[in-house]
Amino acid sequence: MSPLKKVAVIDTGAGNLFSLFACLERIEVEAELVTSAEQLDDTIYQTLLIPGQGRFGNVMENLNQSGLSEAIKAWYLKGKNIIGICVGLQIFFESSEEDEGIAGLSLLKGQVSKLNSPKQPMVGWCSLQSSSSSLNGKSVYFVNSYAVKNSVNVTSKVSYGEDFVASIASNGLTAFQFHPEKSGKQGEEILRRCLG
Amino acid sequence: MLRLKKKSKNRLNDRLKSRVIVCLDVANGRVVKGVNFKGLTDMGDPVELALNYQEQGADEIVFLDIKATLENRKNALDTVTQVAKNLSIPFTVGGGLNSYEDVKMFLDAGADKVALNSAAVNNPELINQISKGFGSQCLVVAVDVNKVGEEYQVYINGGHSKTNLKAFDWFNEIETRGAGEILLTAMHKDGTGTGFDNELMAQATANASIQIIASGGASNAQHFVETFKAGSDAALAAGMFHRVEITVSQVKNELMRNNIEVRIC
Repeated sequence: MSPLKKVAVIDTGAGNLFSLFACLERIEVEAELVTSAEQLDDTIYQTLLIPGQGRFGNVMENLNQSGLSEAIKAWYLKGKNIIGICVGLQIFFESSEEDEGIAGLSLLKGQVSKLNSPKQPMVGWCSLQSSSSSLNGKSVYFVNSYAVKNSVNVTSKVSYGEDFVASIASNGLTAFQFHPEKSGKQGEEILRRCLG
Repeated sequence: MLRLKKKSKNRLNDRLKSRVIVCLDVANGRVVKGVNFKGLTDMGDPVELALNYQEQGADEIVFLDIKATLENRKNALDTVTQVAKNLSIPFTVGGGLNSYEDVKMFLDAGADKVALNSAAVNNPELINQISKGFGSQCLVVAVDVNKVGEEYQVYINGGHSKTNLKAFDWFNEIETRGAGEILLTAMHKDGTGTGFDNELMAQATANASIQIIASGGASNAQHFVETFKAGSDAALAAGMFHRVEITVSQVKNELMRNNIEVRIC
């Protein structure tokens, strides 16, 4: 197997990254934690990954403070590979009802809103609805109380109380509302495919 | 006062997949099984068993250190890390967690969620603190109830001490304080193999807006069918799987035959 290029996991200072790194190790992807804008060197890293831990406002404040917000935007504008998981998907949008008044990275138009789900938080498995055979019907694990209800470039949706966006792909950007790192073999396969 | 929630289980999108959870009761680094919380039998190595159940299709693994002591804390943390590194499904750890610092330690060691039991009863404010600090999604409050006459009473300390808490009052408080899920063990069913207490589960889930996991009493696939039909969001078993009487995939096949949506992996 040819070695895959390195992934820069962005330090959002908002949660535990054990599961994510364990998963990347299982799928044999080399990854490092990046804590500052200077470290984000595109001759070293092929892909930037924003992990799915923490709340919207907390993550954005930390990224603004470390200067990583601007570095992530610049990375995206160059069309390089960028992946967001859970809150990592949400901060690609303009704002969130979770923390009103704090701007997201605004790479994508739209806002994150409270999920009107029968039980909250949403913790569990759902099947993806997608026109892509690599996603459709796959069971993946969700942990969230907020979600994006509509967006362009949606690659899969799910329904729990109401429909919401499960994944997005746009140019170099790929984002998942679910946690592929906790979604068994199917999740590993989804993550491996977008890191390949 | 109980909050009444509309239940519309017939609508497909109102339910997540019914989760089958395997519990590893761990003592001194080995998986064990007791009957009615007493008399322990060795069932095997935690990492091996956890991976085996993941292969069988378990949707989550719960690891309960039933002999948690400060002296063997380091061993417990090491075992948790070994299991967490290998598992690609959610992993909950409980047993002997008494403080915010304990919780942080086990989350750092690789647990996705923690389960609090006696500590939540002794210091309910801990539920608020953990939910605020780490998010409600990583906090499961485990409740051991025993049926005393017609009342469900809450027990702590591994089922040894009766409290004055009435089960349904406690469920409401747990939810209000911000826990993400409740793991509800019917002690009077545990180890009996006669099925979950579905009367309890139906009543508990009808009034809750967080998910409730059924535990205690399962010995066959039909017991899982019955508890999901009663409204349980997830169901947990240990002994029936450890004794290799039935596999998780056989349970899931039976659930599918009964039109209960499960994760297929």
